[in-house]
Amino acid sequence: MNAGAALTLYVMAAVTVAAIVLAVVPLPASARRLPEAIGMAGIVATLAITVTQWGERQVAFSGELRIDRFGLLMTWVIMIAALATLLLGWGEPAAAGRRREFTGLVLAAATGMMLTVMSGDLITLFIGIELLSVSLYILCAMEVARERSLESGLKYLITGSIGTALLVYGFALLYGVTGTTSLAGIAARLDSVGGLASDPLLIAAIVLIVVALGFKASAVPFHMWTPDVYEGAPTPVTAFMGTGTKAAAMGAFLLLFTGATSQASGDWRGLIGALAVATMVVGNVGALLQDNVKRMLAWSSIAQAGYLLIGVAVGTTAGAEALIYYLFAYVAMTLAAFAIVILREREVEDGDQLAAMAGYGRARPWAGVVMTLAMVSLAGFPPFAGFVGKFLLFGSAVDAGMAWLAIVGAVASVISVVYYLRVVIVMWGTPADGRSNERRLRVPPSVATVAVAGAVAIVALAIAAQPMLDLCADAARALIIP
Amino acid sequence: MPWVSLLILVPLAAAVVLGVLPARERRAARGVALIGTLATLAISIIVVALFDRDMAVMQQVDHLDWIPAAGVSWDVGVDGISIWLVLLTTVIFTLGTIAACQRLPERRGPAFLALIMLAQAALLGLFTAGDLILFYVFWEFMLIPFALLIWNWGGDDRRGAGMIFVVYTMAGSLLMLVAIIATALTAMDATGELSFLIRDMQGVAFGEATSTILLAGFLIAFAIKIPLWPFHGWLPRAYSQAPIVVTILLAAVMSKAGVYGLLRIGVPVFPEGIGNLLIPVAILALIGIVYGSLLAWRAPTMRLLVGYSSVAHLGFIVLGIIVIDRMAAQGAVLQMINHGIVAAAAFAVVMVISRGTGTGDMDRLGGLAKGAPRLAVAFLFVTMAALALPGSNAFVGEFFILGGVFDQYAWMAVIAMLGVIYAAVYMLRMYQGTMNGPARGVTDDGRAAEMGARDAIILVPLILMMMWIALWPGSLVGATRASTDLALAPAQVAEGRPVEQIGVLPARAAMTPATDPAERP
Repeated sequence: MNAGAALTLYVMAAVTVAAIVLAVVPLPASARRLPEAIGMAGIVATLAITVTQWGERQVAFSGELRIDRFGLLMTWVIMIAALATLLLGWGEPAAAGRRREFTGLVLAAATGMMLTVMSGDLITLFIGIELLSVSLYILCAMEVARERSLESGLKYLITGSIGTALLVYGFALLYGVTGTTSLAGIAARLDSVGGLASDPLLIAAIVLIVVALGFKASAVPFHMWTPDVYEGAPTPVTAFMGTGTKAAAMGAFLLLFTGATSQASGDWRGLIGALAVATMVVGNVGALLQDNVKRMLAWSSIAQAGYLLIGVAVGTTAGAEALIYYLFAYVAMTLAAFAIVILREREVEDGDQLAAMAGYGRARPWAGVVMTLAMVSLAGFPPFAGFVGKFLLFGSAVDAGMAWLAIVGAVASVISVVYYLRVVIVMWGTPADGRSNERRLRVPPSVATVAVAGAVAIVALAIAAQPMLDLCADAARALIIP
Repeated sequence: MPWVSLLILVPLAAAVVLGVLPARERRAARGVALIGTLATLAISIIVVALFDRDMAVMQQVDHLDWIPAAGVSWDVGVDGISIWLVLLTTVIFTLGTIAACQRLPERRGPAFLALIMLAQAALLGLFTAGDLILFYVFWEFMLIPFALLIWNWGGDDRRGAGMIFVVYTMAGSLLMLVAIIATALTAMDATGELSFLIRDMQGVAFGEATSTILLAGFLIAFAIKIPLWPFHGWLPRAYSQAPIVVTILLAAVMSKAGVYGLLRIGVPVFPEGIGNLLIPVAILALIGIVYGSLLAWRAPTMRLLVGYSSVAHLGFIVLGIIVIDRMAAQGAVLQMINHGIVAAAAFAVVMVISRGTGTGDMDRLGGLAKGAPRLAVAFLFVTMAALALPGSNAFVGEFFILGGVFDQYAWMAVIAMLGVIYAAVYMLRMYQGTMNGPARGVTDDGRAAEMGARDAIILVPLILMMMWIALWPGSLVGATRASTDLALAPAQVAEGRPVEQIGVLPARAAMTPATDPAERP
């Protein structure tokens, strides 16, 4: 066992525990930001450690944890999302009074996500997913005084539990077929034993796992909870669910399919491809009808999960590479959009309604530019990061002989233009009742930081696509190393 | 100096500067916009001066890897097909920027000019791109500034018009993206190297069926942008709802994107596919010529009249390209420029009349010539050019196209002739309806609509350019010949055209090395 390899886990565990302990210990007013400060320091330390660990795979806990380029790069996505969530929640009025639990729970969820993407074993993977899910159940219901928030938490708990149950069943069957819980062991077993690839038991396991992870990634038809939960949860939590959870779920997809069961790819390529098609179509059509920006972003996150699933469905490392790149782009675009929604929410009542955005671009041009960039890039307009990501995903689909996925993706993107650009039109249009100048607050620097950083990343990821892709390609290759 | 790259970067930089200017700095905004657009014009003149008219392949190429792993690069240059379009773009945008600066109302701060600069950068990028992905990037990117211009400053129905414009175009272009990826990957099977460079794809034999399918993917995008009948649904609303300056830019420059793509990518990259799609596309173009002309004849407003006439004129250009005839193709390139100038001038006249009388309805206008004689003269020039009267610039272009089409498919030329006749009907209707007859809709004989100095700055250069081309078309055509011959040759061979019709044998075309950036003059 290599103790140093799991350093990131220790750091995250330590700051999580510290933040939770501080949440119950009475603190002087001057130290009330202490949990957040500790959490951010822990995240920054984790990011720094991952940089030093970049290289060949190291294992910890006898292979339960794999610290390789894939896990490390995915940890970056997750930690960036967690850091942004803490910044977005900084001074959030809704979280007042229980801000300290907020920090501890976000850190716990982030630790779970990191565990998921670094797992080398079904058990670790399951623990990671459970840790992130349980933390998020509570986070969704944080605003105990608000009915929507409680409803959101309850809905997420129920659907999430079903997903978890299916995941365990799937893992149990997978263990039954291969006789091992190690991801590397499963791959080796499928490789060596002929005829195992089309075993009915394996297919059953694959179906159950796809459904369970579909719940977590909010893929159609397991997406019903998403709009309600996203709308009801406190907005920083929604942003975290939209980015971190999505990244962890996609990481699990890649580990289990492109990584562990690639020998049986004939069993799941069509299944996941169909899931991607349904998700892209339903997600984009659903988003068309929304008048609430958070709800619209929820549907859009469903649609985006569909594009991401293309990268899994093709089953190649090129697909994984494109998926990881698009995850970075997606996280940047989504966080920038949520930052603007949070800004507006703090200024006016019902700030998450589309109508509240009317004329906001004229009132705060920089916010208008950030939101426009995020929407335009989400819609896949070149030359921004969202376009480069979609281009790579569609390219991997055509390359893998699944051009139909790319065509559906292209048609779905056309539909998405309508609702993304609707936000842009409304923002730069004239305010309906002059509300845009109402209750102008000083912009919280933490929220502005996230918004601007997201916008910069949208452009930078496109310009510096090649260095980024080199990293993603390394990560994707690490997936298939036995 | 990487002049061609600067051509794109200078307006982009101007747009960024305008973007950060506070909205009240209108005087500074005008200065920045004019400097930016004039600098771009100057650079385009340098590019034209450095242009080697005997060279068929892309020249003055600037090449820089962008995403090497995916075969995508920044690759821009000019050839005989694009050189005049580049100049047209910079000239029309200079005039458009002047027009926008003259009447920069309260609401149009620097943002309006910034978006015009962005549109210029995107169009210049499109006309110089040598890489398919870069082509796509500019193709899509230009939608953003144009859509925002329509949404923010358009007429009453601006939201619907802008949305239809964007969705129509996106529908075609995303399928084009899939076709682009499929083309590059198919080419990779043949060459073993992933590259999106157009010149790398030109030598690849795709096989007839593949070639046809891939070409169809591109054609949908081109057809919507051109627009080819029946994909023209976005045009009337966008043209009539956009601010008039933006309509000038849309009609004069953006409408060339589709036909340019057809000649730059469609014909040379998919020679085997052209044969299968030649007749269907030609029929759509012919329907467009007749249908567009008839709509223009009965159009209720001047803007719609000029807009629909564009559908007809672009039908001519498509026909000139798709019949793969050397003379017709040269005529098509010339006609792209002619239509750009004439459409800009026609919309500029509409702008002057609408501003003076407060209306663009044909029914409510008449007899303006009495009060506005100078405008009447300018308008008459534009009318003559638009209906391709012998001696006008458009006559030369249409003559080339019809001559070439007649050589290949006489029946097509006969139907296309209808368009020439109709053009006289609708253009004279517009001229007579507004200029002659009893004065209508005005109280002062139309003196308010008279062309002043600020309008002359825009109209006179356009009219001078028309006269230049009318008197000396060879100055343009001579530079395009080598490139159009090269673009057509593979398709002509695939179609089995007689050798004497083929300008350059593809064997030689295939051997012509791609221009090395180091060899740039």
